[in-house]
Amino acid sequence: MTNPVSADRPAATSDRPGRRPRPGFGRRDSIVGWLLIAPALVYFVAFLLYPAVAALYYSFTDWNLRSSPSWVGLANYTDLLFDDVKFPHFWKSVQVSLLYTVVAVPLTLVAALGQALLINAIRRGSNLFRLLLFLPVVTAEAAVGAIWRWLYDPQYGLINIILGWFGVPPQNWLNNPDLVIPALAFISAWQCGISMIIYLAGLKGIPLSLREAAIIDGAGPVQRFRKVVMPMLRPTTFYLLVTGVIAALQVFGLVYVIFSAANKSVTGGPEQAGLTYVLHLYLFAFRYDAMGAACAMSFILLVFIMIITALQFKFVKQEAA
Amino acid sequence: MSRRVAGAAAAIALIAGLTACGGGSDAGDSPTLTFWMYQPRTPQAGQIYEDLRKGFEKANNVKVKYVQIAKDDYNTKLSSAIASGTAPDAGVLDQPLVSRFALDKTIVAVPDGTIDESAYYKGALDTNLSDGKLFGLPLDQTTVGLFYNKKLVPTPPKTWDELKATVNQIHQADSKIAGIVVPKGDGYGAWMWPGFVAGAGGALTDDANKKVLFDQQPAVDTLQMWVDLLPSSPRQITDSDNAFANGLAAMMISGPWDVATIKDQFPDLDFNVAPLPYKTEPAGNIGGENGVVFSTSKNAGLAWKFLQYITDGTNNAKFADAFGGYPTNIKAAEQTAATIEPQQAAFLEQLKVAHARPAVPQWIQVNDEIIAPALEKALSGKATAQEALTEAADKTRSLLGWNS
Repeated sequence: MTNPVSADRPAATSDRPGRRPRPGFGRRDSIVGWLLIAPALVYFVAFLLYPAVAALYYSFTDWNLRSSPSWVGLANYTDLLFDDVKFPHFWKSVQVSLLYTVVAVPLTLVAALGQALLINAIRRGSNLFRLLLFLPVVTAEAAVGAIWRWLYDPQYGLINIILGWFGVPPQNWLNNPDLVIPALAFISAWQCGISMIIYLAGLKGIPLSLREAAIIDGAGPVQRFRKVVMPMLRPTTFYLLVTGVIAALQVFGLVYVIFSAANKSVTGGPEQAGLTYVLHLYLFAFRYDAMGAACAMSFILLVFIMIITALQFKFVKQEAA
Repeated sequence: MSRRVAGAAAAIALIAGLTACGGGSDAGDSPTLTFWMYQPRTPQAGQIYEDLRKGFEKANNVKVKYVQIAKDDYNTKLSSAIASGTAPDAGVLDQPLVSRFALDKTIVAVPDGTIDESAYYKGALDTNLSDGKLFGLPLDQTTVGLFYNKKLVPTPPKTWDELKATVNQIHQADSKIAGIVVPKGDGYGAWMWPGFVAGAGGALTDDANKKVLFDQQPAVDTLQMWVDLLPSSPRQITDSDNAFANGLAAMMISGPWDVATIKDQFPDLDFNVAPLPYKTEPAGNIGGENGVVFSTSKNAGLAWKFLQYITDGTNNAKFADAFGGYPTNIKAAEQTAATIEPQQAAFLEQLKVAHARPAVPQWIQVNDEIIAPALEKALSGKATAQEALTEAADKTRSLLGWNS
């Protein structure tokens, strides 16, 4: 994930030379230019463009990775959407991923903003806290899975112990179908470090004069947050929302690690409650011998993500006010 | 996502291509046999493979080249190699994949007269069947048994009735302790379940006549038995990490891999393993790996000879042990039985009555997507065992196109 601020700037400056006459480049320069971008170009074509085009082709075939693919037209797509004998859990996996997105994304944004506000407010030691809060992001996913299995343990887990202080009876977090998604979403909120850093940058970007003006006008902390900070952070929030939704719809590694580690089973937890869309896709690609159908799933997801993203651009306010 | 999956596929293909390049270069006088296998689990295991290789090379004046691949990546890399026409001569294959590979003719049938079938365990040999023909030789096998905490269970239950009685008694004596870790309705539980069904005299399918049988009485009784164990074995207790090893559950169903783990990490636990309790006859499930010969091999005769060599009465004991399973050759198993630890003996005993998975190419999908959810439906009380299995059997018939 790149920082939006730094990603935007080069684009803005590169427009400027257009006004002046272009510096003349000779043919040799252009060869040098091509040579310089060749590694990136080769990488792009070999590892991104070609596989994506190939996957689109395979999505119209019946392919088990071994024998040559046989063309089936749109059958993979129609079977996925309408044939619940071949794909009994396709719609379940859609539902699981949507639910996860709806719970995890807001939770992550709130956690990230909360942490950023706290770090922004303290004078000393903010570097230390920033580091500590960022640690979950750089921790290996397998370790994260193992640690959270212990934290959610129905007998000895820390989460149940803490909830017990408030009189909440112990829960079986990862084995109760109703609690699986909230439990997973909570882990993702705990890993909100990158969003937190971006929010922090956003907070630093709010001119001090605005805050001072608000204080002079008699605005309290709550009013300042609602009328100054939140509107000024709107572009940041929008960016995090869009990228967060895209990432959440693709969640895979965490679920895979959580459910395969202890249950020796990758089938997606109790009653398929943790069978996310991409886990379902993975199972068809690498366990059930149906790479063609898996490719079709990935394109359905691609289209779905494009639609969701377009809707967000249309209906969510993105300009700072 | 599409990019990521496709990117991964391309990367894998590339790696497979590179490995293949490495294999093609050495052309000597004597033929070279390429054999794909998993990476050795331990340095000792690696040494055993090496010794076996040298023994075969010397006796036959040939070269054998091992390509050892991490188990998690093995199937994908093998598929890529087959797709790109660079499949090895022979290789290891997980049992349920044999019928799939046989279906698309990437592996060849065992030539008539190659082996003496009576030298092998029947269950293990059956895992090589596709359409009634053998497509490989069993290299090693494994199964699950009943682990019991000797402090809580002095004599292990032999039958279902004894199992239920023991479980109830334990939980009544101490409500903080669960009688047994009841398997889950997931892919793993669905793999263990047929062993119990066979213990009630039933089977999941009749492959020869294309019939689904797991909506019949033996299967229904088996699932009902699991359901009946739950009140004295609450999930809230058994879902805790290592519930059996921590002494929270008096019994569990698991395989030989847990014997070593428990001995290593919980040295104080006094436990033993017994064969699975049964209703009408002793039985069990089976897992493990087979050796197959790929249809593109130019050394098929030599490949079968090598597979025979690692599964014969003397070598199979070493090979299977290095692989982490039990011998599939009856004579080799006798060697193993003489030196085995007490906790391992029950598995070896049970393998004599173990039943192979249905030889259906789509079986993994049926196991994960149809049987597992049906088990969970009954175990969570959302349907009766009969309802859940009737529905699942109908779905399986539609998926496999087996009408009746």
